[in-house]
Amino acid sequence: MINLVAALGEQLLQRLALMGQALLMLLQSLKVLPGKHGIARLTQQLYVVGVQSLIIMLVSALFIGMVLGLQGYTLLSAYGSEQAVGQMVALTLVRELSPVVAALLFAGRAGSALTAEIGLMKATEQLASLEMFGVDPLHRIVAPRFLAGLICLPLLVAIFSLVGIYGGYIVAVDWLGVYSGSYWGNMQQAVDFGEDVVNGMIKALVFAFVVSWIALYQGYSCVPTSQGISTATTRTVVYSSLAILGFDFILTALMFGGA
Amino acid sequence: MAVNGIIEIHNLSFFRGKRAIFKDIDVSIAAGKITAIMGPSGTGKTTLLRLIGGQLQPHQGEVQLFGKNIAQLNRRQLNQLRSRMGVLFQSGALFTDLTVFENVAFPLREHTQLNDQQLHDRVLLKLEAVGLRGARELMPSHLSGGMARRVALARAVALEPEIILYDEPFSGQDPIAMAVLQRLIKDLNDEMQLTSVLVSHDIAEACAIADRVILLGEGRVLAHDTPEALQTSPDPAVRQFMHGEADGVIPFHFPAPPLAAELLCDNASVADKQGGLL
Repeated sequence: MINLVAALGEQLLQRLALMGQALLMLLQSLKVLPGKHGIARLTQQLYVVGVQSLIIMLVSALFIGMVLGLQGYTLLSAYGSEQAVGQMVALTLVRELSPVVAALLFAGRAGSALTAEIGLMKATEQLASLEMFGVDPLHRIVAPRFLAGLICLPLLVAIFSLVGIYGGYIVAVDWLGVYSGSYWGNMQQAVDFGEDVVNGMIKALVFAFVVSWIALYQGYSCVPTSQGISTATTRTVVYSSLAILGFDFILTALMFGGA
Repeated sequence: MAVNGIIEIHNLSFFRGKRAIFKDIDVSIAAGKITAIMGPSGTGKTTLLRLIGGQLQPHQGEVQLFGKNIAQLNRRQLNQLRSRMGVLFQSGALFTDLTVFENVAFPLREHTQLNDQQLHDRVLLKLEAVGLRGARELMPSHLSGGMARRVALARAVALEPEIILYDEPFSGQDPIAMAVLQRLIKDLNDEMQLTSVLVSHDIAEACAIADRVILLGEGRVLAHDTPEALQTSPDPAVRQFMHGEADGVIPFHFPAPPLAAELLCDNASVADKQGGLL
């Protein structure tokens, strides 16, 4: 029994130490603001992390919007209120699905790539050689990628919502014959900017922070072997997904729960 | 203690987990010479280079570079010291997203205020010295292993350092590349009055160019002498390594219980173990 408690305590302490290390990594990498060259490196990462994730976001958003339109129409038409499908699609996307699904896709597309990239840089001694040239790899490699993730995901979430709402429109209005005016009109009336859009974006920002942090820490601290990089990449996707879903519940409860 | 070498290591101990990599070692590396650090794999040769470069901190004892204890330097001072020191990593460690030219230009851009023309000329001269001026527009992924290491060498000497550390420069190279690297290391050392520290287990290649050899084993310095003296050393451990004997003081077998005991143990427990494994 005592041994069990001791083992549990040891595990807990190890986890806490790891989290402390991850926090230190983040603080150290963000200690110095990016200079002139830093902006150029940030721009490059915005392209890699953001622009290159666009295709997967656009396609997923379109299909999710279409499915929502279809399901919403079937469900609402049973009560004769299919004209409300626009507000249902928009609220579902803006409050929940866009931040969560976009973040999950982001973890799989960009997060895993970041972990593998940094892990390989470590394995090929590129991080060590930066250090020997007197350049801090946290500042040079980690910081621009973290900022890029923080900027890109909220933007991708916004795009996701737009495209998803249009996907719903294609199905509900163009295909199933909902009146276009009520699709937009009901949406305009039901979606509140502060309550829904801003809260959705806050979620996006939190997920961006968590996913980028996990991905970069896993890459930076991985065991520099092929197996180590593979483990780290898997962990990025698994931990990020769990963190996104966990934080989503907490944030939803804080934002929309209760009164 | 009097400081006479450009790199001085005093009473250094270093552990990985509970295993001692180094136990209380003293090493002094003289300026202007090529010193080879040799020893069997896993004796911490690369670890020693990292300790010298300040990438690892010793658990006990101190490392002095240019007469300064590197543990007592702040980051800025350490970086300044590092700019007087070049490192050739085992894999070359070229930045894969930069061309050969940009790789060699990297330390110059970081540490000097050269204008574009001066930078261009300096990079071309360094590439010329390693015979790869013509490859300046290539990406590292298009280079052979030997070429990558030569580019890395050009990059390591771009700032004209006073010390250069080589991590296994010969491993995995074909005989021609090996001879080229050997010549480059020797020539650079003589022309630029560098201090070269070379970690290797290629005895013939390293001994051919080294002025001094430090032989590591079992966490301590087994010998520190000229290559000729080591070749004829009576010490059994030194002799085993220098002449490449498979078994000797450094055992062939990884520590294990006696073979007879393991083979003759009852079959039931073997079946148990295998079942457990599967």
